Amino acid sequence: MALLDSNRAAASPKAPGAVPRRVGARRQDNLTAYLMIAPMVVLLGVFVMWPLAYSVYLSTFEISFYKAPKFVGAQFYKYVLESADFWHSILIGLSYALLVVPTGIVIALLLASFIKTLSKRVAAFMKVTVYLPAVVSTVIASVLFTFMYQDAGVVNWFLSLINHAPIAWLNSPQWALPAIAVPGIWLGFGITTLILLAALLDIPDSYYESAMLDGANFFQRLRYITIPLLKNVLLYLFVTGFTLAIQMLDLPLIMTNGGPTGATTTPNFYIFNSFRELTPYATSYSLTASLLLFVVLGAISIVIFRLIRSDKAVDG
Amino acid sequence: MPRRRSTLALAISAAVAASLALSACGSGGGGARTEGGKTVITFWQQKFEDYQQAWFKKQVDAFNASQDKVKVDYQVQPADTWAQKLKAAQAAGKAPDVQTTSYGNIPAAVTNGELAELDGLLPASAFDDIKDNVKSFVTFNGKRYAYPMLVEPSTVLYYRTDLAAAAGLDPKNPPKSWDELVQWSTKLTTPKVKGMTIASAAPDLAWSSWGLQYNACGHLPIADDWSKANATDPCYEKLLQLYKTLYQGGLMPKTPKVGYADGASYGQGEVAMMAGGSWVVGQLKAEFPNMISKTAVAPFPSIDGDQTKTTATLGGWTLTVDAKSKAKQQAAQFVQWLLAGDPAIMADFFKTSGFSKYTVRTSVDQALAGNPDASSDPFMKTISTKVVPYGKQEPAYPYDIALAFGTAVESAMKGTASIPDALKKADEKINDVIKKQSLAGTQPRR
Amino acid sequence: MPVGTFRRAGSAMLVVLIAVSVLFPLAWMAIAGFKGKDEVLRSPFQFFPDMWRWSNYTAILKDHTFTRAMIVTFVGALIFTVLSLVVNSMAAYAFARLEFRGKRFWWVYCIMPMFIPTMAILLTSFVVVSKLGMLNTMAVLIIPGVASAAQMFFLRQYYLNFPIAVEEAAMIDGANRWQVFLRVFLPQSAAPFVVVGIASYLAYWNAYVWPILTITDPSLTQIMQFLGTFRSDRGNDWGMLMAGSTLASLPTVLLLLIFQRYIVNGVRISGMK
Repeated sequence: MALLDSNRAAASPKAPGAVPRRVGARRQDNLTAYLMIAPMVVLLGVFVMWPLAYSVYLSTFEISFYKAPKFVGAQFYKYVLESADFWHSILIGLSYALLVVPTGIVIALLLASFIKTLSKRVAAFMKVTVYLPAVVSTVIASVLFTFMYQDAGVVNWFLSLINHAPIAWLNSPQWALPAIAVPGIWLGFGITTLILLAALLDIPDSYYESAMLDGANFFQRLRYITIPLLKNVLLYLFVTGFTLAIQMLDLPLIMTNGGPTGATTTPNFYIFNSFRELTPYATSYSLTASLLLFVVLGAISIVIFRLIRSDKAVDG
Repeated sequence: MPRRRSTLALAISAAVAASLALSACGSGGGGARTEGGKTVITFWQQKFEDYQQAWFKKQVDAFNASQDKVKVDYQVQPADTWAQKLKAAQAAGKAPDVQTTSYGNIPAAVTNGELAELDGLLPASAFDDIKDNVKSFVTFNGKRYAYPMLVEPSTVLYYRTDLAAAAGLDPKNPPKSWDELVQWSTKLTTPKVKGMTIASAAPDLAWSSWGLQYNACGHLPIADDWSKANATDPCYEKLLQLYKTLYQGGLMPKTPKVGYADGASYGQGEVAMMAGGSWVVGQLKAEFPNMISKTAVAPFPSIDGDQTKTTATLGGWTLTVDAKSKAKQQAAQFVQWLLAGDPAIMADFFKTSGFSKYTVRTSVDQALAGNPDASSDPFMKTISTKVVPYGKQEPAYPYDIALAFGTAVESAMKGTASIPDALKKADEKINDVIKKQSLAGTQPRR
Repeated sequence: MPVGTFRRAGSAMLVVLIAVSVLFPLAWMAIAGFKGKDEVLRSPFQFFPDMWRWSNYTAILKDHTFTRAMIVTFVGALIFTVLSLVVNSMAAYAFARLEFRGKRFWWVYCIMPMFIPTMAILLTSFVVVSKLGMLNTMAVLIIPGVASAAQMFFLRQYYLNFPIAVEEAAMIDGANRWQVFLRVFLPQSAAPFVVVGIASYLAYWNAYVWPILTITDPSLTQIMQFLGTFRSDRGNDWGMLMAGSTLASLPTVLLLLIFQRYIVNGVRISGMK
């Protein structure tokens, strides 16, 4: 339960050293807090927790909506956990996330730092421009990139300039995953850039000014000022980035059909594929697989929360 | 720690209790939906080619106008989300009264009790009209659960007569054996045009290679009673070798833009030959009309050149009535009017499809016999006399088995496993499916 | 100043490079909208159409289903965005700045939905909304997604960064928590609100599966449902799809142009010094 630990500094009165000084630090605002979280708690209760509990309940049956469902206990959990294909898909999801998330964040961070230096009008132009890929639906992006990866496509044309033989990008086991990661980055870096830009703009210029007086170069300023102050936002970006990337479905679905030989079968593609069959077995199996994916995602996030501890950060 | 766990446990058990209450009050009561004295039935059609949507709309309007007891509420549903939409609707007790169901999905739906038995709902004469080889597609334990609409062979060879002639090949004499197919593909491959296109991704190979699995071995990679896998039969090695030669020899595009069911690469002239379903005829006529005069069709080549061996399975669509429908009689009335009624209605459909699909009713054949467009269509003649008669029914086993074999073909093509290893892996996978889904002895059509 | 000129040229080139790599695909999409049905996928790659035909664009613009889908989706997306900002920012403030009993439990409860794959609750969510009688209403499109763990998490991370001194000052002046939230935090949330607001707006705008499951009433058809009608396994109408997607992206681009100005130097910290 590292999710809880990440919050300990702010929440636990048992760790006085970590609690920043503040008015009424130990005072509890139960009523106000409950009122503030109530709408969210109720909505999640009705539209997420209720369906989730119902799904967990259903997963212990071989679901038929026509015949009396057959109770099978944890049988489907056993089947999914035993399936090499399921674990392989998790591995693919993780590899995809590792390709997409850190790269995306680094590009976005560099881009955001760059936009910050621009004049107001150019910056306005860039803020809109970097976001535009996100406006395009994944379907369109998939088609476009499939084009560029054709045997005689743009990418292979560049290769031919350096006298390299064309590569079957989407159909060779080692290249397919990186090839779909590129549109994955392209689609996502706009929002990441804006988030980082908003966060960068919050760092007082005075910090940088004094660092520059001390002779710190760009990378030193990044290392000692920017990144520590962006910790809270970076935690958010890594956690949401990983959860979203592992769940990628559209790109493999449209670009590679999960292939070649499973090289781009992400967990959601695997689940989607098992769901195509309309048998009770398939319905129960894919439901159970998606519940287990939930557990895996939760576990990965706990790891990230542990790696990037997010405390109540800056104090003036 | 312990306290936290107990609060979580408490919350979870409360939520489970709530969901139990929810599932208990599941099926709502009440009768069929009515509107202005008419019984309303819902009809879901899976989205196909554009002309089909237009045709269904026209016929539903005609049916609604033809009588004043039943009103059909016609809804087109996208294919990519069909499974989610249908399962969700079934879970909430809101499945449509009538829906399009493919032959392949009937067995599972019957086993699960989703389909209403049609024998009592449609007159026996309606079923007498269906051709004998298709009757078995919709019959289980002597009872009928679907009314067939059409058949489409899954695999036909399309080839460019102009390119064949230019390459010194005789367009009148298309390849008959796999060896000849490879020779043709080799001669037709130029830097700009590939010789051939065929499925290369496991999910497509899973179903599009059924006909060739029959062709290579005379059976599918599973014992007839579904008791064990049969994928290591050496005859399959030749089938995988064919796919491997086409792919690794650079005779087909290595990065296809569209799936097997879409004939766009052929239509755009990027390949000289194509393995494709009969429905591609309709696509070519609608979207690439200038290809028609340069195109000929032939039965797909056979392992040894014997063209009376199966090379295609007959896929296709039926209409089914939901077992929980509250207006089964009215639903069946609509199905009968549309599919089993006046032969002119279905004759109109096949004409609209550019004769890319084939009727299952003797009376519709007769109605079409008088139609000059039909009798003069070159594609139709070849496909209906040389492919359809040798076509086999699609297997009734779960998709996982088909996918296991499709994966074996793909691994061989892309070189991630040797042919014997790929087949061995498929064999193991199929046995695993048989065990987990308790399939042994459950083949519904025996 | 040669160094300055050099740097300026460098950054100008970078701006152009980024803009091209981003805009090229979009230009391709817009121009593909002028192509015929069989022209879009043609190889070798061709950027411009054989002939500029306006028929795709005019056909879509004349189609009342399209106009209606645009309006209905736009209104829905705006309501959705505003509601989700209200609900999530309140919870975010509570989790970032308040102490209360059971905080850990509720934190896990509110953050957990972020890790739930859609497929895990798709069928059962449908059952729930159908029991609640919400099918075929705007409510079913808007309400279930309003509470968003990811958005709340983002705003909470942002509020964690707020200097404590600001809060202290307000509370010394006698403000209660609600007043601190409304008068101190909200006015300074423009930048994060724009960032997550646009993300919410887009999530609503691009939703495909959920509207297909829950909406059958043609008067409520959402824009992605409409664009989906140009796609199928057996051939896609690429020209129409590209033209439709181009037109459908315009409102979002317009909103971006309007709201980008709020992503600027934070006033609160600099104002404090």
